Amino acid sequence: MTRLNTLLTSAALFAALGVTGAMAEVTVLGWPGGPEEAGLRKAADAYNATATDADKVKLIFFNRDGFFDKLAADLAAGSTDFDVNLLATYALGRYAPFMDPITLPDASKATFPEKVLATMQYDGKQYGIPTDLSLHFMYYRKDLVEKLLADADWKAKYGEISEKYLGKKLEPKDPDAWTWEDWMAMALFFTKSINSDSPTRYGTVLQMKNLLFNMMVWQSTARAQGGDWMNDKGEITVDSPAYRTALDIYKKLYDEGTSPKDSTTYEFAEANAAFGAGQAATMLQWNAAFGDLDNKDKTPAVAGKIGTVAPPAGPEGRFTHIHGLGLGINKASKNKEGAVKFLNWLGTPDAMVIYAKAGGSPALSDAVVAKVSTERPDLVKLGQYAGSYGFVMHGGTAAKALQVYELQAKEFTAYWSGGKSLDEALAAAKTGMADLLKP
Amino acid sequence: MRKSLVNTLRWLVFAVAVIVLNFPVIATLVTSLKSEAEIMTNASLVIEAPTLDNYAAVFAMADRFDILHFLMNSLVASLIGSALAIFLAFPAAYAMARFGVGRSWLLPLAVNLRAVPLIIFAIPIYLMFQQVGLLDTRFGLALILCLVNVPLVLVLFASSIADLPLEIEEAGRVDGAGTLRLLVYVVAPMSLNVVAASSVLAFIYSWNEFLFGLMLTTNNATPVSVGASFFFAASGGGVRWGVAAAVMILATLPPLILGLLMYRQIGRSMTAGAVKG
Amino acid sequence: MPRTSRFEGRLLIAPLTAFLIALLGFPLVLDIIYSISHVGFENIRAPELTGFSNYAKAIADPEFWAAAWFSLRFGLIVAVIQVVAGLGLAVFLAPLFAKRPWLIALLMLPMMVAPALVGLMYRLILHEFVGAVPYYLLEWYGDFPAFLGRDWAFTTLVTVETLQWTPFALLILHSSYAAVSPDIREAASLDGARGRRLFLNIDLPLMLPAIGITFFLRFIDSFRVFDNLYTLVGPGAGGSTTSMSIYIYQAFFKVGDIGLAVAASMLLLVASFMVLWVINGLTARKAPL
Repeated sequence: MTRLNTLLTSAALFAALGVTGAMAEVTVLGWPGGPEEAGLRKAADAYNATATDADKVKLIFFNRDGFFDKLAADLAAGSTDFDVNLLATYALGRYAPFMDPITLPDASKATFPEKVLATMQYDGKQYGIPTDLSLHFMYYRKDLVEKLLADADWKAKYGEISEKYLGKKLEPKDPDAWTWEDWMAMALFFTKSINSDSPTRYGTVLQMKNLLFNMMVWQSTARAQGGDWMNDKGEITVDSPAYRTALDIYKKLYDEGTSPKDSTTYEFAEANAAFGAGQAATMLQWNAAFGDLDNKDKTPAVAGKIGTVAPPAGPEGRFTHIHGLGLGINKASKNKEGAVKFLNWLGTPDAMVIYAKAGGSPALSDAVVAKVSTERPDLVKLGQYAGSYGFVMHGGTAAKALQVYELQAKEFTAYWSGGKSLDEALAAAKTGMADLLKP
Repeated sequence: MRKSLVNTLRWLVFAVAVIVLNFPVIATLVTSLKSEAEIMTNASLVIEAPTLDNYAAVFAMADRFDILHFLMNSLVASLIGSALAIFLAFPAAYAMARFGVGRSWLLPLAVNLRAVPLIIFAIPIYLMFQQVGLLDTRFGLALILCLVNVPLVLVLFASSIADLPLEIEEAGRVDGAGTLRLLVYVVAPMSLNVVAASSVLAFIYSWNEFLFGLMLTTNNATPVSVGASFFFAASGGGVRWGVAAAVMILATLPPLILGLLMYRQIGRSMTAGAVKG
Repeated sequence: MPRTSRFEGRLLIAPLTAFLIALLGFPLVLDIIYSISHVGFENIRAPELTGFSNYAKAIADPEFWAAAWFSLRFGLIVAVIQVVAGLGLAVFLAPLFAKRPWLIALLMLPMMVAPALVGLMYRLILHEFVGAVPYYLLEWYGDFPAFLGRDWAFTTLVTVETLQWTPFALLILHSSYAAVSPDIREAASLDGARGRRLFLNIDLPLMLPAIGITFFLRFIDSFRVFDNLYTLVGPGAGGSTTSMSIYIYQAFFKVGDIGLAVAASMLLLVASFMVLWVINGLTARKAPL
């Protein structure tokens, strides 16, 4: 405690004088607030246990909200506050000019499958070690769906509701066999205002805040209908019937009240709070949420009752958005040597096993994933789903991909919340995307 | 009879106003004293089992988000920012009041600054700070806090110095004291009241500043007004509302206590700042 | 005035002047240069001069005008409500404050809280599953509105801003009310003026300047709203709660269109000078307070 105080005081003095002391350590800027952070902390501890003082790793995190904007501004300005920083597939084109490509050590080629390493490549160069793969699961309440599949009264009611709201009588199905329509019926059935027998207040919880990540969660819906950002000729196809259907799926669910009223301000955390309170029966959500939701100390209402499957199927098949998070080197770094050492270690099977056991979600080669499959069965699923259902939109790694997501978030949330008609929103998205993605 | 009825009504209105106006803080305080499990099951304002666990949790996660570090950043930057504003404004206000220098342009400029949305300058300041290495430093943040406070402090000083009796200063001049000596030994002691009052208000405004804290810091100098929002995403599996509530209370306490203790001075400064400006 | 004191005076204002030049003058020059350049994060140090296309882009952007309209509407509505509520409380509660001045401290407390934190607090208070407000509304009325949804967000934000800053209006108007000389009131009441008449004919005219100033200050502060709005809802669904400050922040950080952000800033600066010019003209005519 006294050491901390001296540290703070001297830091205050230094800062007050505008002096920054030269630091010989490697500063790593990680993705804050999630299991990625927990994993990185454990991995850094393990690394620091053997590293020399000059190579020791110090972790910093800043707010998730506006993270990529600030990172972009800092990188462009040549900030030396960090040596190693977070990278994401969808932001590769934006950050690559301010980062140094890395040479992969052989160990990392044994740790990660080729397809996963590719999520950190831009213009044929490797920019980072892929620490996490993110995709989406359809979370559902096992207890509720099992009861529905067994209870004749519930089944009858399910048929009635689907006929009334979707225009056709549906039979409840096992979640792994759901189409998007089946999911809609489930969401309607488990909504109290529609079905007074529903044990949950809402059938689902949609993340509809004007935020780019919410577009990633939603866009598997569009892809399953055959939607894409652009076609092979480079023409923007965001106004296709596939996009219309997919946007209307969310619109309908929200308008019918199957998701909380404030869903238009919900993101990752708020959605988990609703599902974790036991008040939503299903949720399309990042795979990273599983660990905490299934933890009895954190969300006693639902822990042990959660099932996860890949997102539902559409006419064009079954899809999940994927992207990688990774760590790479800041071009302005003053300690690249130390940074390279850390990244080389991070790419080894041993490091990734520590990372995975502490909560991180790396997609690993079969040989490595076997070492953690008892503690992290979900990682096996992660690899399988990524291989079978993973997709990246055409143009999804372009330099302005993030801005495309920002634009879609603004336009599509305008439609969902009733601020614009479908035609207006799609037309605006199309014009804006054509501008952002022009070669 | 009717009079006492009206008086009761007054007290009633007062009580309701106090509760309604302070509701955010009250409700947050209540939440911060509930356990995580109770927060999920009991959203009412009645606490079933009060606990300080959330406060303990805030300090226990110091390795991830160091609340003491954020508080310290706010403290240092606010102190420097307020002191600097006073230091710069005091001589200038004296020059305006006694010599008329700058009264026609500097005073209106500084006063009108209060009406200009500061975000206009945020972007170039960001770029400028990058060049000179002031980004994410407490001193850099303090400079901005000073800028935010200069209009208020200048107005308060200009009007209070103008109100000081001229005779004492003249006596001093006759004794051969230079302007600097007069300023330090005569005018400053007579203005201590205003210095105290304006520095409290400047400190509170500095403590509560958010926009520049958000844009100009990443970690080293993050003030608590910005740092508190980090705790909203502190667990990944959902917001840990209890911890977030405890942090907000901790971040709010310093200005709140100052406000209670010094309400008279703050009230006077706010009123003078508004009316004289 | 002797030359030496003029010189001394200049010396005394020099530090403040230098500070303002460094932190306002220089950024203003940068603002002007960037606003007529094609510039993004990639070429931030070597902007390419392009003339006034950024201004044209801002003026042609319906969202720029939507943001301006949002801020204007927000500022006006909030200022009116605050002045009316503050005036009502100040006058009605004046007898209490006269006997126990410290009571006003309890009403001043909301102003001590950072607006950014107030925004975060409401995120908690209004959350459907953990917040007290939806809980009690559900308990008492069986339903509650979507506070942060498109239909209600504006009302919610107005309420949040009003609850925090009505105390400011209350404080200023209270001291102005207390400053009305009892003699004048007594004289008027001898003439038979009572209650509402007394207030409307005597107090209100005397308080008018203070009311004007309070309104102006509250309008300014609410017009440039950022903190609580940013932490509570951000730009909102489809950008429905984008204020002028949020618009500039988004253009800079999210879109990386620095030229547009800066051009919008300059337009905002011109607008605020125009408002100030009008206000200064008005107060100059009314003259000494």
